[in-house]
Parts: sequence; structure tokens; C-alpha cells
Amino acid sequence: MSEFHRKIERNTMRFVLAIIVVASIGGIVEIAPLFTIKSTVEAAPNMRVYTPLELAGRSIYMREGCYACHSQMIRTLRDEVERYGPYSLAVESQYDHPMLWGSKRTGPDIARVGEKYSDAWHVAHLYNPRDVVPESVMPAYRWLLRNELRIDDLPGHLRAMRDVGVPYTDAMIENAAKDAFGQAAPESDAAVGVTERYGAATHMRAFDGNAGRLTEMDALVAYLQIMGKLTDAAQKTEQTKIGE
Amino acid sequence: MIARLTVAERQSALLILIVMSFLGLAMAAAGRGTPFGLHGFLVIAASIGVGLPLLRKFYAPEPDPAQFEQYYDDPTKVGIVLAMLWAIAGMFVGVWVAALLAWPDLTIDAAWASFGRLRPIHTSGVIFGFGGNALIATSFHVLQRTSRARLPDQLSPWFVLLGYNLFCVVAATGYMMGVTQSKEYAEPEWYADIWLVIVWVVYFLIYIRTLARRKEPHIYVANWYYMAFILVVAILHIVNNLAVPVSFGDFKSYSAFSGVQDAMTQWWYGHNAVAFFLTAGFLGMLYYYLPKRAGRPIFSYRLSIISFWGITFMYMWAGSHHLHYTALPQWVQTLGMTFSIVLLVPSWASAGNALATLNGAWHKVRDDATLRFMMVAAVFYGISTFEGSFMAIRAVNSLSHYTDWTVGHVHAGALGWVAMITFGSIYALVPWMWKRETMYSARLIEVHFWLALAGTVVYVFAMWNSGIIQGLMWRTYTDSGTLAYSFIDSLVAMHPYYIARAFGGLLFLLGAIVGTYNVLMTIRVAKRERAQSGGGTDVPSYGRDPVLQAGE
Amino acid sequence: MHDMVVAFSKSWGLFYLVALAVGVVIYAYWPANRARFTRAKNSILDKDDRPWS
Repeated sequence: MSEFHRKIERNTMRFVLAIIVVASIGGIVEIAPLFTIKSTVEAAPNMRVYTPLELAGRSIYMREGCYACHSQMIRTLRDEVERYGPYSLAVESQYDHPMLWGSKRTGPDIARVGEKYSDAWHVAHLYNPRDVVPESVMPAYRWLLRNELRIDDLPGHLRAMRDVGVPYTDAMIENAAKDAFGQAAPESDAAVGVTERYGAATHMRAFDGNAGRLTEMDALVAYLQIMGKLTDAAQKTEQTKIGE
Repeated sequence: MIARLTVAERQSALLILIVMSFLGLAMAAAGRGTPFGLHGFLVIAASIGVGLPLLRKFYAPEPDPAQFEQYYDDPTKVGIVLAMLWAIAGMFVGVWVAALLAWPDLTIDAAWASFGRLRPIHTSGVIFGFGGNALIATSFHVLQRTSRARLPDQLSPWFVLLGYNLFCVVAATGYMMGVTQSKEYAEPEWYADIWLVIVWVVYFLIYIRTLARRKEPHIYVANWYYMAFILVVAILHIVNNLAVPVSFGDFKSYSAFSGVQDAMTQWWYGHNAVAFFLTAGFLGMLYYYLPKRAGRPIFSYRLSIISFWGITFMYMWAGSHHLHYTALPQWVQTLGMTFSIVLLVPSWASAGNALATLNGAWHKVRDDATLRFMMVAAVFYGISTFEGSFMAIRAVNSLSHYTDWTVGHVHAGALGWVAMITFGSIYALVPWMWKRETMYSARLIEVHFWLALAGTVVYVFAMWNSGIIQGLMWRTYTDSGTLAYSFIDSLVAMHPYYIARAFGGLLFLLGAIVGTYNVLMTIRVAKRERAQSGGGTDVPSYGRDPVLQAGE
Repeated sequence: MHDMVVAFSKSWGLFYLVALAVGVVIYAYWPANRARFTRAKNSILDKDDRPWS
């Protein structure tokens, strides 16, 4: 034993290998089974993917660091379920590359914020939170209304998402830019085919109140309004783990 | 410093800079007008910024061969100064974002100045900018002294140090432009990540090559910790950052993992970044600079070996305690909790070992603020590892998670342990590096010590209070069985603590500014003294007791 | 396949922990190593003014 360790230590490369092996065991044992397991992620056949506009909104959510203060993971605790809604299931974030579960609630959890408030409320709140919630400490995101949303690169984004395993079809990728515009301008020609590709329940409306101009606000509000609505698996599953 | 490079090294350096300039040009062209393109220009500017002074000394004669009989400390010296500057920058942004939580309207209507974009500058600035530079600088010093061997060449340490700082600058400027992959403590995007891998491989090779040249058969335990830091950070960094970029020319990438697998990978990374970046590396510092400064060998070498393997093995299991009561399978949560609790054993063994080393030298701790920095660091290491194990218990975590308690815990470790051991080590190291008996001002070290300690205590107590109040308010029920407080009620209750936290952070920042001034003045005085004494010899000072040692 | 992976994870994790702990403790307390460790911990306090040739 002793001779063994002395050899390890005298020979630098062997020492390096020893550290790598010893340190890797924990990660392999905990992470590898998550990829082989079927019960880690529940089945949700009706789960839909993010529309290009919602995906762009999600990128803005990450860009502005929203995840630093808002979690998207309701734990299996009674008070959380009563405050925020049914606890989060793994399947609900299966298309989230990366996940945005968060680790801190300076603001409330927003895993189920979709459709809880009106679009106009979100726009006003993002423009200046203290106009709607006087005690809020959230930053004002006024530039979201000013900035036009970049959509010409959206096919590339969908393609990258498909490369990591999200089932986007060729038609979705091809029409990504058009669909992004159409979702927020339901009267326009661009709106044709969006519900066909993403489902009849897709929110089709001018999220920032102006259908003529596609802003970053449109994208972010579209994302906020779909939160917790990609599948109804959580509502349908019996919540048996509460208080575990 | 450049004239000390050999002619061949200068030529290689120029070649590297030319290649980098072309890479920067390609980035600028591919990402025209986007943050990716701007980063291309940044790479070009950095290459030119290093290249100009290089060219000015390019044709200087070969350096005096006598220098190869001595240790090579130039990168360490620059690394120390960079670490102090990053400390000020990172902590300044920290105080800024803390103030924004207390007074959200104290800002301008600009995207780059909003809380969400500044916060990662604070976290990356202090962890990677301050901590990383301090680790690189001290590791080069410890590695050479304990191996009794010079660094294998003079170019690669510079590549590591400057390349690493380029990574930090790309990261920080990227956040301001909204470039982030949103993985906590791994925010930089794919191209910065690839660059860091290159830098890290060279860093690892320096370690291996120096150890291979060592004259001392036994590898001193501090090097084990530095080694584990370099190796495991490489593994974590590569796995956690696996992603598919939209295209070359677009900064954005999509993580290879999603949902629950991504969460587990992220916290396996996140927790072990704490373990191997913020703990193992700094334990390396502790095991060298504390005994050195106290003039006493480490209390138990055996214990340091046992804790080394304990920490290396067990930390990797603990990450899942960040995901209690979530959609992560419960057996993984339980495993994470169990190992987090057992981790207390090697952690306290290290803290106890450090304090026992000082037993019998308490008079030195009383008189010497540098040693006191290290002593307090060991105490905070003990406190925050106990707190960490405690918070990993599922029942405790149900209250503490998502609250400011976590923030308080992190800062007990970051301010109390990481920053204190770093400041202590730097105060010990600077006089050795610049061949002086002492720092410029012992009294300013004293001032820094009390500012740092007061700031840490104010900060941590504020966050303990606010976190526990928050957690309790969220789960309080009325008699009729409904939730007693709305979320906004709990937010309003936080306000006084957020002010106190910003104040505590400000004290700590002031301490860092005082420390930086002291370091810069020491360098200046040392240079002046050497000029007066007619150049002086370049023989490092040494001695059994550095506190009391005489000059050269 | 999955059951095998999980069973392995759940059972062998503990085994590794114990085996490693025993191994490290034996190494640290092996009598022949005492002199080496004593020398090692004192070595950093020696003169370290220049590399050994």
C-alpha cells in the first residue's frame, strides 16, 4: 500500500491519473444514470417545442440575467405548491437547453407565470416594475420596447437546437423568421402556418400592443406567457410527492 | 521583464501574437457589428497591446545566463498586481449590484448597467479575476520553491497568465453586451470557453514539466491541492460547457444538455467549482504560506494527506444538494446530502490542522496582521464548511434554498475564507518577491484586516437574518390555513438587510483598495531602494522566519 | 441496462468510499512513512533562495 502510493507520488503522471480517477467517480455515478433512466423524465406526448419567437424571448431572458433572481422550479413542498402551482416535473424542461431552474428567489418563482397576467401588464411591468408593483426592486427594461428583434438568424438557432436533440422539423427551421414575425402579427401574411406547425393553442397576438413592429418586448412576453404551458403534464399528474 | 526572455522565446511570443491577431481578425470579420465581432477587435487590441512592448525590446541581447540559476518570478509579480486590481473591480461591481437591490432606481436607462448584466461581472470578477490570478501567481511561486526547480521555460507562464486575463476580460465585457450562456459561474460563451481550455492545458503542462524537473523527491502537499485544482477544473469546465454554437460568427450556443440532466451537470460543476477552484487551490496556499509565515511546520502532515483524498473524492458527489425537492430523482438528492455531511470530516481536518499549526505561535498572530488574515481564513473555512454541510440536509435546505441564506453562506466562504487567505498570502509573498523585509506599511495591513473582518461579519449577519426571515415568511400559514404573507411582503422585509449588506460589502471593498495601495507602494519603494543601492543583486531573500528576517 | 447502472451507483459508491478511506489512512500512518513526512513538512522552511542544481 505504502509502496504503491510512493510510486504514485514519485511519478507525476500516475499521480495525475489517481486524482482524475478518484475525482471522477462521484460525477459518473450520479450523472450517468440520469441519461439512461426512463423515469427521470416523465412521458408527455402532447409536449410542444418553443416557437421561434418564444425561443428568441428565452434568449433575451438569459441575456438580461433574469434567472439570477427568478427560479423556474417549484419544489415538492406544500407552501410552494399553494403559492406557485403544481410542482415542476422534469419533462417540463426537457427542451430547455440550458435549463433555467435558477437558484435564488429575489423575485418569485415564475415556472407557471404563463397566462397569469395580461400582455399589457407584462409590458408595463417590464417597462418600469414600480409602475405596477410599487415595492418591487426589479430593474426596468425599457430598451426591450426600443429594440427591434433580430429574426434573420432564427433558422440557425432552431438548427442548433435540433442538433442538441429538440425535434424541430425542416419546415419549422425554414420558416423560423417568418413565423416569429407572424406570431406577433396575426393579421399579416406571415401568420399563415404558425398554428399548423406549433399547434392550435399557440398564442397569436401583438404581445407589445403593436403588430406593425416586432420588438424584443414581443419576444420576451411571448416567452413569459408560454411558461408552464408547453405541456399540461403537471396538471394531469397526481401530485403525490408533496412534503416528501 | 521582456529583456529577460531569451531571443527564441521572444520570437515564439511574436508568432503567437500574430496568430492571435489573425484569429481576432477572423472573429471581427465573421461577426461584423455583433458582440462576437467586437470581441474579435478586443483580441486584436490585446495582441497589439502585448506586442508593442515586445517589439521595442525584441532585439535586446540574450539575457545573462546567471538568471537561469534563479527562480523565475516575473509572472508571479504581475499576477499579484492583476489579482489586486481584479479584486477592486469585482468588489466594486458587487457593491454596485448590492446597492441596486436596495435602491433599484439608482441607475441609468442602459442595458449594460442593469442588475442582470452586472451581477455576473461581480461573480466572475472576484472568482476568476481575483481568485484565479491569485491562484496562478501563487502556484508558480509554490511550485518552484517546493520542487527546488525553476519553471521549465519563460514563455508559457506568460501565456497562461495573460491568456487567462484575456479570458476574464472577454467574459466581463461579454456580460455587458448580453453574451452569456446563463450557466451559473460558467457564463462565458463557447469561444471564451475554448480559449480557456487552451490556456488551461498549457498551465497543466507547466505543472507537469516543473514537477518532472524537481530536485526534491517528495511532492509537497500544497502542490497536490494545486494539481487537483488544475485537473478537476479542466474536467468540470469541459463537460459543463459542451454546447453547439449557432455558427462561427455568432456568440450564441445551445447547451448539449437539457432539463434535469443539465441541472445535475450544472450543479455538479457549480459545487465543484467551489470545491476545486475556491477550496482546493486556496488550501494549497494555506498549506504553504501559513507554515512559512508562522515559521512552523504544518501540525500534521498525515492529516493533510487524509483530507486531500477525502476532499478530492467526496466533493464530487455533493452537487445534487443544490437540487433538493426538485424534479431530480430522489436517490441522487439523498446521495448528495449524505456525502455533503461526511465532507465535514476532511474539511474540519484541514481547518483544525491550520489552527493547530499556529498553536504556540499565538503571539505572532496577535502582532502580525498578515498571519491573522490566514488564521481568520482558517476559522471561516471551518464555519462555512460546517454551514454548507448543515444546509445540505434536506429539511434545512427546504427553508434555506432560494433565499439570501445561500448568499450569506457563499460570502462567508468567499470573503471570510478565500479572500482572507489570499490577502494573507499576498502580504507574505510581496516582500519576498520584491526583496524587501516588510510591506510598505504594517499599519495599513492592520487597517485592511479590520475593514475586511468587519465587512464580512456585517455582510454575513445581514444575509443570515434576511434569508431566514424570507424562508420563514414564505412558509408561514394563518390559522385559517392560508399562506400568511404575499411574496412582496417578504421583499419589503428584506430592505433594511439589503442596505446593511451593501454597507458590509463597501467596507470589504475599502479594505481591498487599502491593500492594493499598500502593495503598489511596496513595489515602488522597493524599486527606489534598488535604484539607490545601485542596481542591487537579484538574489531572493530567504529565512526561517520571514516576519523577523533581515535583509539580503 | 439502466437498472444495472443504478444498482452499481447505489451500492458501489459506498464501497469506494470505505476502500479509499482505509487505503489513505493506512498510507498516512504507515510507520515507514513517518520520517518522509516529517522531512517534507519541514522542507518548506529551509532556505529556498534558488533552485537546486
